[in-house]
Amino acid sequence: MKVQNLIPQRPSRRRMLRGCGAILGLPWMESAISRTLRAEDKAAESATGVPAGRPPVRSAFIYFPNGVWEKSWTPEKSGRDYELSPTLQPLAEVKDDVLVLTGLDKKHSHGGDGHYAKTANFLTGMPVTKTTGKNISSGGISVDQLMAQHTSQFTPLPSLELGTEPVISGIDSNVGYTRLYGSHVSWQSPTRPVAKEINPRLVYERLFGRRVSDDPARSESYRNLLDFVLEDARQLRPRLGRDDQFKMDEYLDSVRAVEKRIEFSLQQKPRDWQPSVAQAETTPPRPGVPADFREHIAIMLDLMVLAFQTDSTRVASMMFANDVSGRNFSFVEGVSGSHHELSHHENNQAKIAQYERINRWHVEQFAGMMKKLKSIPEGDGTLLDNCMILFGSSISDGNRHDPDNLPVLLGGHGGRTLQSGQHLQSKGNVPLCDLYVSMLDRMGVEVEQFGDSTKRLLDPVG
Amino acid sequence: MNATFDLFARRYCRRLPILSLFAAIGIAVPSGMFVNVQADEHEKKVESWKKSYEEKILPIVEARCVQCHRGDKIEGEFDFGKFPNGQTAADAGDAWERVAKRIRLNEMPPQGSPGLSDEQKGQFHRWVDSRPNQDLCKQLASEETQSWYRGFVMSRRLTQTEYRNAIRDVVGIPLQPDEEPPSDGAGGEGFDTVGDALFTSTIHLESYLAIADRVIEDALPDTQAADDNAKAAIRNRLLIVLPKSLQPESSSSDSEAAAEIIAQFARRAWRRPVTDDEKLRLMQLYEASTGRRRGFLASVREPLKAVLVSPHFLFVVETEPDATGVIRLTPYQIATRLALFIWSSIPDEELLQAADSQVILNDDQIRLQVRRMLADPKSRALGENFGLQWLGLRGFSEVHPDGELFPEYAETLASDLREEAVRFVAHVFQQNRPLTDLVAADYVLVNGRLAQHYQIDLPAESPWQAVSVADGRRGGVVTLGSVLTATSYPRRTSPVLRGRWILEEVLGSTVPAPPPNVPALEENTASTAGLTLRQRLDLHRQKAECASCHDRMDPLGFGLENFDGIGRWRETDNGQPIDNAGKLPSGDSFSGPNELKSVLMKRSGEFQQHFVRKLLGFALGRELNKFDQCIMEACLKKLSENEFKSQILIEEIALSYPFQYRYHKQPTEAPEPPTTSQVLFDRLEQIARKANALKKQADALQESKP
Repeated sequence: MKVQNLIPQRPSRRRMLRGCGAILGLPWMESAISRTLRAEDKAAESATGVPAGRPPVRSAFIYFPNGVWEKSWTPEKSGRDYELSPTLQPLAEVKDDVLVLTGLDKKHSHGGDGHYAKTANFLTGMPVTKTTGKNISSGGISVDQLMAQHTSQFTPLPSLELGTEPVISGIDSNVGYTRLYGSHVSWQSPTRPVAKEINPRLVYERLFGRRVSDDPARSESYRNLLDFVLEDARQLRPRLGRDDQFKMDEYLDSVRAVEKRIEFSLQQKPRDWQPSVAQAETTPPRPGVPADFREHIAIMLDLMVLAFQTDSTRVASMMFANDVSGRNFSFVEGVSGSHHELSHHENNQAKIAQYERINRWHVEQFAGMMKKLKSIPEGDGTLLDNCMILFGSSISDGNRHDPDNLPVLLGGHGGRTLQSGQHLQSKGNVPLCDLYVSMLDRMGVEVEQFGDSTKRLLDPVG
Repeated sequence: MNATFDLFARRYCRRLPILSLFAAIGIAVPSGMFVNVQADEHEKKVESWKKSYEEKILPIVEARCVQCHRGDKIEGEFDFGKFPNGQTAADAGDAWERVAKRIRLNEMPPQGSPGLSDEQKGQFHRWVDSRPNQDLCKQLASEETQSWYRGFVMSRRLTQTEYRNAIRDVVGIPLQPDEEPPSDGAGGEGFDTVGDALFTSTIHLESYLAIADRVIEDALPDTQAADDNAKAAIRNRLLIVLPKSLQPESSSSDSEAAAEIIAQFARRAWRRPVTDDEKLRLMQLYEASTGRRRGFLASVREPLKAVLVSPHFLFVVETEPDATGVIRLTPYQIATRLALFIWSSIPDEELLQAADSQVILNDDQIRLQVRRMLADPKSRALGENFGLQWLGLRGFSEVHPDGELFPEYAETLASDLREEAVRFVAHVFQQNRPLTDLVAADYVLVNGRLAQHYQIDLPAESPWQAVSVADGRRGGVVTLGSVLTATSYPRRTSPVLRGRWILEEVLGSTVPAPPPNVPALEENTASTAGLTLRQRLDLHRQKAECASCHDRMDPLGFGLENFDGIGRWRETDNGQPIDNAGKLPSGDSFSGPNELKSVLMKRSGEFQQHFVRKLLGFALGRELNKFDQCIMEACLKKLSENEFKSQILIEEIALSYPFQYRYHKQPTEAPEPPTTSQVLFDRLEQIARKANALKKQADALQESKP
C-alpha cells in the first residue's frame, strides 16, 4: 500500500509517458534510463576528485567594482616570503590561507569601453558584444555556471547568484552598451545572464526550500502547476517566431530547474556528503533589503558561508555592487565621496588615499569571510580547507580602466590542493582564465581549456 | 505583395478608412511606377552630391578635421578617415546631420584649434542640406525593407513593473515590496520593454510561483471575515458564480461554477478568449484537487494559480499567423500593446470587449480608448515607468547623498522627490499639457513636505498639488529635485554631470566618454591650489580635447549651481556667492535656471525630436531604425498642429504603422523546435530518477519487514 501511495497522481505526466512510448518505443526508453543512472553513479564517485566521504570542494566568485590602486595593492616580493601590501593588511590573520595573484589579464577587454565590456566577461574571459540590446552576449558561459552544471546533481540548488543592487537601468548611448552588462557576472550561456538575488531573506528561503518545497502539500500543488505550464509552453513554442522561441526556452529551462529542485527534496536519497549543520539551527534574516550597505554585505557573505556549510550548493557568485557603482563610501573613516568618483582619482594624492581606504574595506570583508569559513569545522579540518573563494575586480586602476594586472585573491585550500600563502606574480599578461581552468580541475570539471586560457596557472591536482 | 498594398493603403488612406480597400487597389500600380521614376532621379541627385563632397567638402575636412579625427589617434567617436571619397561619404548618410549640428552650434572644431571660416561653414551646411532625400516613408513596405520588422518586437515576458501592475489589476491584490521578481535591465532606446534585454532565470520562476500562490490564497481564503469589505470585494470579483454548495439558491453545481470562474479569470489574465482545450486542462487541475477531497475554494485556487504562472500570462505572446509578410496585429494583441504602453499593465474589461467586437481596429476607436485610458488613474504608469526610465531615475533609491552633509535627506524626502517626478510626467499626459511643460513648466507638483524643501509657501500637511512658480526657478524636468540629486556626487554638486544630463536626456545629444589617458581634471598642483571648482573646470576647458565636450556641458550645469546636492535653493556655497552664469559655444549666455530654460526652449525642436524618439522606443520595445524616422516626423507634425499637446502624441504612436503591424516570417523559415527531444529526455531522466528512488524505498520497506 505504502509503496503505491508514493507514486504521484499526475495526469499530465502519465499522458507524457504515453506520448514518449508512442514516439520512442520502450527499448530506447529503458536504455536511456539505465544510461542516465550509470552516468549519475559514476559522476557521484568522481564529482569532487576525492574519495567518498571526503568533503566536496566549493567555489565562490566575488566581484567588486571600480578596481584598486595598484601601487598599494600589489605586494613587492613574490613567493612565500612576500609581505602584505598596505591594502592587503587585513589579510594578516589568514595570510597562509590566501593566494595573492597579480599580473593576470583579460585580453578581450582591452577594446570596448571603460566598464561594461570588462564586467560582463569577468567570469567568461571572452569578448562582450557591443550592443544596446540586440544580440546581447558575454562571449561564453561563465566559469561558475560551468561548475554548477557539473555539481548541480548533488545539491538542492545548482548555484547561488547574489548581489546588493538592482540591475542598472538604461543604456549608455555614448559607448553603445546596455548597462545590464555592468550588472551581471554569471552567464548561463553566452546570451543568457543569470538574475542575481539581492534580498537576503529570499536567499535564505531559497536555501532552505521555503519558496518551493518545504511542505509536501505545497510541493504537490507546485508540481501540478508546473506540469500545466510546461504543457502551455510546449504548445506555444512552435507557434512563435524563432527569436521568440529562444525566449520561451529560457522559460522552459526555468520551469525545469524549479521542478528539479522539488524532485530533489522529495528524493530523500542519501547525499554523497552529509553537511555538518542542520538548517533548523539557523535563524532567517529580517525581511527586506538592509538599508545599511555594510550590513547587507555581511548578511550576503554569511548566507554564502551557510550555503556551503549546509551543502545547499557548491557554487556561488556575488557582486559587491554593480559596475560604476556610485555608492557613497563616507562610512569608511577618512573617506568622503563615492566609490566610482574616487576611483577616478586623477592621480590626486588626497583622492588616492581615500580610494585605497575603500579598497582596503573590501579586503576586510573578504578577510572576515575567510575567518568565518575557517572557524567552521568540517571533516578533519575546516570548511575553508574545502573552499576556493575568488575575490577580484575586472579592472586594475580605476582611473585608467585597464583590464590587465587584475587584483585577484584566492582564499581557501580547494580540498587541500592549493599552495596558499604565496604571492604568485605572473609576467606577460597571463590570462585570468588560466586560473579558472585550475579551479575547474579542483571542482572535478574536466576541460582542456576555458575562455581565453592558454595553460593551467596552478599545478594539476594529484 | 498583399502586404505591400495594404501598407500603401495604410499610409496614404488613413483618413479615409472606409475607402481604404478600394483606394489600395486603385493607387497601388501607379504609385509603384511613380517610385521607379523617382528612383532614377534620385540616383542622379546622389551622384552630384558625392561629386560635390569630393570637390568642396573633402578639402575642408582634410584641413580642419582629420587632425584629431582619424585612425588610431582618434578623439571622440567620429573618424573622418573613413570618408576619403564621395561614395563613402554618401554611405555615411545621417552621420553628416550630426556633424552639421556640432558645427552649427560652434562646438566643432573646438576652441583652441583652427576653426572654420564663415564661407567654409556655409559650404558645408549647403552640402548637407542638399543631401538627396530618400523619403524612407515610401520605402517602408517594400519587399527589401519589410524585414526590418523581423523579430524586432518579440514575444517578450512582462517586465517587473508590468507584472506588478498586472497582478494588481487581475487579482486585485498588490504585491508587497519584499516579494517582487528580480529587476530588469534595458535595451533599444533605453527601456526595459525591449524583449532582447529581458531574460528569465530560475529565481524569476520561483518568484512567480510564490506570488501566484500567495495572492490567490489571500484573495480566496477558506473563511472570510464578514466585516472586511475590501477583501469581500476582491473575492466577489473573482467568484462570478457560486455553486449550490456555498449558496443554496444557486443553480450551478460545483464544477459548473468552477468552470465559469476559471474561464473568466484566464480570459482576463491571458487577455484573450480561452480555448476549449485550455479550459479542459485547467479543469483537470481543479478535479485533481477535488479528487483529493479538497473543498470547492481550495480546488478553484489551483487552476487560478496556474493561470498566473502560465506563459500566456507572463509573456506578451504574439503568435505567428499562417500568413506571412507584414500583417496587422489581432485585436487582442493591439489591446495588449495599448495597455502595456499607457498603463504598463494588461487590458481591462472594456479593452477586451473592444477587441471582442473588433471595433478596436478602427482609428477613431483607438483615439477614444487612448483618451479613456489616459483619464484612468492607471496612466500614472507613464510617469512611473516611462518617465523614470527616460529621466534616468529608475535607480533613484540607490542614490545616497552623504548623511553627514545632508542629514535631512531621509527616506520620506527621497520618496517625495521620486513621487514628484512620477506625478509630473504623468500630469503632462493626463492633463493633455503641451510637451514644452516638460522643459519649462510654470508650475511644480509638490506636497507640503516637498514644498518646504523647495522653500515654497504651503502648509506642511498639504496633499500633492500643482503650485505655480512665477520666478521660473523651478518647473520642468531640469529642476526636479530628484534629477538635481541624482546628477550630484554624494558630497557636492557636479556641473559636468548636470550639463551632460541636460544634453543627453533633454536635448538628445550624445557626449562621448572622456578619451583614455586624458586627466579628468587638472591635478591639484601648486598652480591650481585654492581654485574653485568652476575655475578648475575653466582651466580644463582651455585644452582643445577637453573643450569639445565640456564647452557644451559645463555651462548648462553652471546655470543650475543655485541648487545644492539635494535640490535645495542656495545663494552661497561654502561662504562664496554662487556664480550661476553660463555661455554656450553657440553664443547663448544665461544666468540661473530661468534663463537656462529659455535657452533650452530655443532648442525645443531638439527636445521634441528626442522625446518622441524616446516615447516611440518605449512603446515599440525596440531600438528605432531609420524607417521609424517618418513616424517620428509625422508625430512631430501632428504635435505642431496641435499646440504640442501631449495626448496627440500618444494617439499617433498608437495609430502608427509599427505599433499596429508586425512582420511575420514565412512558415518554411521557422525552425523545427530543436528542444523537443531535450524536453523528453529531461523528463525521462526525472522519471528514471524517481523510479530509482521509489525502488530504493520499496526495497527498504521490504527489508524492514520481519
